[in-house]
Amino acid sequence: MKQKTICKTEQDDPASTQNAPLREAVSVTVNPPFRGQQYTANKQLTDEELQKLENTVPQTELLQFVVAGDLSLKNRYARSLLAVTDGHIYGFDENHHDGVKIFDFTQAGKASVKRYYGNALLVFAGQDEGKKTHFLRFSYREAPLFEAAAAYINSVADGGSREDAQTQIEIAFEKQFCVCPKCGRTLLRPGAPCMNCQTKNKVIKTLGRYVLPYKKLLAFCLLLSAVTTGVSLVPPYMTKTLVDDVLPNGSGRGLLTCVLVLLMTHVIHYGVGIIRSYYLKICGNKIVADLRNDVYKKAQQLPMRFYDTTSTGSIINRISGDTSTIQAFMLRVTQEVLVQLFMLVGIVIIMFGMNWQLTLLSLVPVPLVAIASRIFRKKIRAYYRRIWRHWAAVISVLTDTIPGIRVVKAFANERKGVEKFAARNKTWLKSNNRVARITSLYPNVVGLMMSCGSLLIWSVGGNEVIHNPEFISAGLLVSFISYTSMFYGPVNFFANFNDSYQSFLNAAERLMDIIDAEPENDFSGGWHPEKLVGKIEFKNVNFSFDRTQKTLSDVSFTIEPGDIVGIAGTTGAGKSTLVNLLMRYYDHYDGEILIDGIDIRKIDMTFYRSQIGYVQQEPMMFHDTIYQNIAYGCQGVTTEQVMQAADVANAHSFIARLPDGYDTVLGERGVGLSGGERQRLSIARAVLKDPAILFFDEATASVDSETEHLIQESIEKLIHGRTTLMIAHRLSTLRKANKIIVVDKGKILEMGTPEELMALKGKYYKLIQIQTMSDELQKTKKEERFD
Amino acid sequence: MERIFIDKDTATFTRKDLTLVDVVFRDGRSFEGLEPRRLFPVSDRSRYITLLDANGVEQAVIRDLSVLPEAERQIIEECLQEYYLVPKITRVMDYRERFDGITFFADTDHGPANIEIRTLTQGLKVIGEFRALIRDVNDNRYEIPDVTRLDKHSRQILARYI
Repeated sequence: MKQKTICKTEQDDPASTQNAPLREAVSVTVNPPFRGQQYTANKQLTDEELQKLENTVPQTELLQFVVAGDLSLKNRYARSLLAVTDGHIYGFDENHHDGVKIFDFTQAGKASVKRYYGNALLVFAGQDEGKKTHFLRFSYREAPLFEAAAAYINSVADGGSREDAQTQIEIAFEKQFCVCPKCGRTLLRPGAPCMNCQTKNKVIKTLGRYVLPYKKLLAFCLLLSAVTTGVSLVPPYMTKTLVDDVLPNGSGRGLLTCVLVLLMTHVIHYGVGIIRSYYLKICGNKIVADLRNDVYKKAQQLPMRFYDTTSTGSIINRISGDTSTIQAFMLRVTQEVLVQLFMLVGIVIIMFGMNWQLTLLSLVPVPLVAIASRIFRKKIRAYYRRIWRHWAAVISVLTDTIPGIRVVKAFANERKGVEKFAARNKTWLKSNNRVARITSLYPNVVGLMMSCGSLLIWSVGGNEVIHNPEFISAGLLVSFISYTSMFYGPVNFFANFNDSYQSFLNAAERLMDIIDAEPENDFSGGWHPEKLVGKIEFKNVNFSFDRTQKTLSDVSFTIEPGDIVGIAGTTGAGKSTLVNLLMRYYDHYDGEILIDGIDIRKIDMTFYRSQIGYVQQEPMMFHDTIYQNIAYGCQGVTTEQVMQAADVANAHSFIARLPDGYDTVLGERGVGLSGGERQRLSIARAVLKDPAILFFDEATASVDSETEHLIQESIEKLIHGRTTLMIAHRLSTLRKANKIIVVDKGKILEMGTPEELMALKGKYYKLIQIQTMSDELQKTKKEERFD
Repeated sequence: MERIFIDKDTATFTRKDLTLVDVVFRDGRSFEGLEPRRLFPVSDRSRYITLLDANGVEQAVIRDLSVLPEAERQIIEECLQEYYLVPKITRVMDYRERFDGITFFADTDHGPANIEIRTLTQGLKVIGEFRALIRDVNDNRYEIPDVTRLDKHSRQILARYI
């Protein structure tokens, strides 16, 4: 049997950090064969472990796979080992008698992994559900592999094919090894680029992409910069001529020439400066507009998983705030850095030409400045990150409470909101003040150092002028001092440059988090048929949002084209998850979902979603006209098509009554319409899309019964001839369904026609009974009131 | 249905399995194989311990562990200890950071651990002023009860993030 060995060296293992060098990269290596046979393992085994295996496993047995755990049974970090051979199951843990427990496949009983909080246990039920055995313990990190191992053991114990089981376990191993070969970090999927291993150069490279299109304009500006810088170097030189030649000689003509030359240089300097600054600003703006577009575009393509774990406030902040920080920095880089650099080089050259000894003297404070800059840089970085986090916290109060202002007012919770905001703002203020302390201290200390530098030149150079006038003239000293003060300008600039560079780097990092994040898989491309027919198949689908709890387990069913399927079940049973997976909001499930016999992950995403109409419980309306809201996502539709769609959705009549008709602009989240009206608009949206498949997620949950009737009517018109999935709490909504799926705790409990399920007298029957009872109760109450 | 609260000596427990107890009430009712779980695993670990049956249905709630008789309290605490693994970080030796992903090389009261978190917002929460909770990429939990009581080196590393 061909076997693969996938393993890492053990630097990644918590138990071995003490003796292994820290920070060392994990590499993918191959375990040496055990008695000449390859086997699958998740870690490189130590000599000691190999010896244990050698001593315990009889020569006649063939080692199949090894899973190394990271906790002892007593919940301490330690290596434990599960070794499975063709005959037995071996569990090595220091707490077992003699350090090992051995079962054969039949005597062990059913194997299962019980997940606790931060740790999990491999348990064997024992024969005939007799005495349970706690076999091995491990953290969540290794739990998926042990789950695969348990499945293997159960399948072999039940007499299943060993080959199939082996394939399954190898898939599980490969999945677990979605790790970066460089750093050992878990990746989103096999082969995904590792975010962790990208260096700072990557930031520069990525942002460089945005600068390149404007390289011609930038080069032109560079030329202008050279001119202005060159011209600005003239005045101090003129000072030398004035002091040494013109003034002592009393030449009025010479003075006039000098003044005229100075005037010319100023005019050129500032004139060219205007043009340069204008074009550079334009460049900076264009670059950042491009960047913002890209980040927004990318944010649209990110999978739901990203949005589940990152607050929208922080994403909005990244798109608006962080791009602005980058804009400020870009402008700074493109405008000043080059100018200052030219200036710096130019001055140093001239100064060296004038007097190299004095030049060296004036360079004395430079290393001090550089050192101070390094210290500053280290300190300030953490502060900037903290400020950003505190700012994101402030923003998150905003994004929570301003759109939810109705709820806030309803609960008279304004004061609490204000207090929360003030508290967060205070933390922000605190950390910002701390930064202010450092940012005001640093440039001034540097300034002081530099001023002392010029004193040095005054004293040394002045001494030379007094005692050695033929070596250094008064004019030379004066012009040298001017150059020195000009020279410290750029030095000061570069020292302070850190400040904006740091906040730029932090902002860039966060933007890269979005730019580099995995987008939804194959957003374009893939299989693209004319139209979907609408046959839906789930094949052994397992899904978990966060690895801790299975939301769906082993779900399989088939829906024929044109079927109207009701999905019933209690809250949290997994009904909406079924639809979420079908919408391809989440792609990381096990098993297969097929539409018309094709894996939905292989179908072109844009096309696929265009074939699905999704009516949600709380339909989202955009801040736009009713017309645009209905036509949302549909290009090239005619006005009459929209009106027709509104007709089907029973929406036209109420739209017609509105003073602004279809031009009525909806407030944020559809304010101005009732829940039922919004729902009908969202149905109209689905009608216009003319989809092959329809999902209704509790579409009538939040409306009164009269409106429900209107909506029901429109739904019935819409679903004709389309495969329809309806999630409903109120089972009366499902009366049109020809098939019912009852979901409970992530599993399919019952499936069949409503009549079949009623005859079954199971969960569905119970749900119907409960609902009929409560409906009747309501009815009697109503009647009582009428009486 | 009325929630059954267990106070001072309304019930006795027998350890049945690693995380399971049998419960007998003084009024004679009894339940087998209930799993004690914290209702507030982060904010209040010794109060409101729910007892779930094999189907995850709550059968009773212990209001406050500290008022239970010593023997009973111990049984429940042993169960909780097996169920909840939240190592307390005692020392942070080193860290490695690239972009938003951070690995801490730390010592905990359960032994040394490499703690890998993807983003600060998801991975690290500061509760109150000094208490830090960490949730790693695999959803394992760690805790620093009081950041200020760590050694200087650890604090310096954490100061970057907290």
